[in-house]
Amino acid sequence: MITKAKIDNFIDKIPPSPKILKVTLMLLDNGELVKAAQIAQQDLALSAYLKLLVNKPIYGFKNKVEDVSQIFGILGVSRSQQAVYNYMISLLSPDKWQLFKLNKNSFENLQADLSANWQKILSHLNIADKDITNAITLLPASIIVSEALFCDELENVNLLRSVNEIDLNTILKRLSGLDLFDICALIAKKWDINEESSAILQAAAGNKPSKDISINILGQWMHLLLFYTLSQTQYIEAELNDFIDFQIEYVQDIYDDFSTVMEIA
Amino acid sequence: MRAVVRNGVGVFTPQGFLDGNNSASFLSIEDIQATTKLNADMILVSLKKVIFFNRNGLDAFVKMFIKVRLAHHTTVGFCDYDTKKYDAINKFYKNELNFCLFRTQEIASLFAASFKNKNKNILLYSDDKSQTAAMAIELHDNGHNPLIAQTLEEFNTKSKAKEAYDIIINETYLGQMGQKVATRVTGNAIIYTVSSFLDAEIGNTFNIAYHNNSLNVGFRLFIFDAYKVVSMNVHALNFFSKLSSSAAEYNATICFVGLTFEKTPITFKETLEDSGIMFFQQMDDILKNKELLDELGASSAASVKSKRVITKGIVTELPNFIDATVGTIEMMTNAKAVKEAAQVNKIKIGDKKDKIASSIGFYGDIDGMIILVFPHDIAKKACELLIGEKTDDTEMILDTLAELVNIVGGKVKTLLFEANIKVDITLPRTYQDLDSLLEVVQDKKGVQVDLAFDNDKFLFFLTR
Repeated sequence: MITKAKIDNFIDKIPPSPKILKVTLMLLDNGELVKAAQIAQQDLALSAYLKLLVNKPIYGFKNKVEDVSQIFGILGVSRSQQAVYNYMISLLSPDKWQLFKLNKNSFENLQADLSANWQKILSHLNIADKDITNAITLLPASIIVSEALFCDELENVNLLRSVNEIDLNTILKRLSGLDLFDICALIAKKWDINEESSAILQAAAGNKPSKDISINILGQWMHLLLFYTLSQTQYIEAELNDFIDFQIEYVQDIYDDFSTVMEIA
Repeated sequence: MRAVVRNGVGVFTPQGFLDGNNSASFLSIEDIQATTKLNADMILVSLKKVIFFNRNGLDAFVKMFIKVRLAHHTTVGFCDYDTKKYDAINKFYKNELNFCLFRTQEIASLFAASFKNKNKNILLYSDDKSQTAAMAIELHDNGHNPLIAQTLEEFNTKSKAKEAYDIIINETYLGQMGQKVATRVTGNAIIYTVSSFLDAEIGNTFNIAYHNNSLNVGFRLFIFDAYKVVSMNVHALNFFSKLSSSAAEYNATICFVGLTFEKTPITFKETLEDSGIMFFQQMDDILKNKELLDELGASSAASVKSKRVITKGIVTELPNFIDATVGTIEMMTNAKAVKEAAQVNKIKIGDKKDKIASSIGFYGDIDGMIILVFPHDIAKKACELLIGEKTDDTEMILDTLAELVNIVGGKVKTLLFEANIKVDITLPRTYQDLDSLLEVVQDKKGVQVDLAFDNDKFLFFLTR
């Protein structure tokens, strides 16, 4: 059973963002890359995460990047912040995935794929806003929330879905009144993540368009990017392809642009 | 990825992008094997949530179509596409389009023999005249009223008057249709649909395991809808004679409806009558004649000569059955269940008012039947999760209840499998009023467990 109490319990258990991360993000926000790198280096797990992240093939660096200050220097302010937020979200991921066939490495790959392609989209849209760059980091949180809430209900969910085409987001909404993206927004609030990022994420659910046109357009791009990413072999095999409903009508009018940006034949 | 099966139609719904790199990931070998075992009347791949596909992306599904059709004569194809996608599929498979294309799932269901709603007014257009004729014949045979638009202009004009038609069909293509013997349940009778030429192939297309288990769980009237049969040969004659003999052991009756003997020797009719098979001109001659239905056994399913008793094997597995039922209803209603009483006896239902029921049979290493009696309100609440909205439409609630019981059956199957007991499940049956349920089970002994969900009473009965 998934009740409101279970959701509240999940939110309560989310720790506040660690102090080092807060300070790193604040310094990055002020454009102080060197100082931010010095602070970030004190957290060994964060340093290791950043090194792994930026050396993934999708980031496309020719030489291995080893040093945090070098990483921040290459990425610049917005993408460095994005990388730190990705690390924060990864702290919520379970040690052992049960609902989805993921592991630490594949989840980090998913974060990297989304972040790198989001950057391509923002370049295409001529957007360099830090908060909009960071918004993508919240998207994988919806997968973590699904895992956390549904992992004990695996069998029930599978049986339900064997007779009815129903996604996890809809099941959660009908059972508790909240959907995955509402819960991600609660996490964002707890971690003082900018409200605009939350608003874009809500629009990216695909079934509740924003009244703000610019946020809605970003929501469309993010929704399509999610399904472009979840159509990759490793994520289909991780059973992520249909965890939420793809709203094809919502993204129809940006598809041609999207296929150009992603170089889809 | 697995197909969602409703009313004998299995539908795959891939999402996003479908190309040569990922299509094999959508369908593993196990998925294909599971699909061939489904025994559905129709297997479809919905393209409504696919924004991009190429030929390589569709090929994995087309290969599955071939395997499924070879195994069970199932109708296979794609559905839920727009004009652009329809044109693309036609371009990719120009001279090798041996599967069906249905613009929507609703259109596909019109061609499924197990589709319950008949008598639809349908506007039909295809630029291929042979396709138009094939579709019109199928629709007419399935009890609908197709109106053919001869030209695209005529179609465009007529399709503007949307209210004049229940369904409008265009951009649809009938590839090789399945010739499986479709099954549907009406009240306490099971109706099999047979068509064209009946020969030795009937032994492959008729699901004998399903038939035998329907006998086991209490069905006593089996009707062959034979309006579309052209003729039968001696192999089919032998098949039906044997079927009738085995049915006689259960006091069951087999009937043929609508079979003509223009191209079938009239001596075949005499042979079949000698083996106990009855013949009727119209389906309504049986289904609308309550006295005849009683006489034929459709409302006396419990009158088995040797009454089957509940066994120790089934009682031992009772916790599994209860867990499956409680877990499912708890999930669907988000309410906690409390077990109030359990006893071995004949079914006892206190207040029959505002209650509906559903049953599902299981067979294999052990066999029996699960009966669930729901207060109307619990049924409504449980169905809200599947329907997504509140409804008072009794037919919709009963249909959804059947799905819910199907989930319980599926869960029982899984739990028993974990205990190394292999079973299959029958189609679920629903009862709008409890008198019709009692006609079937009132003399059977079984295990009754009374449960309460919040304050609503709910009854579970396990019998054979």
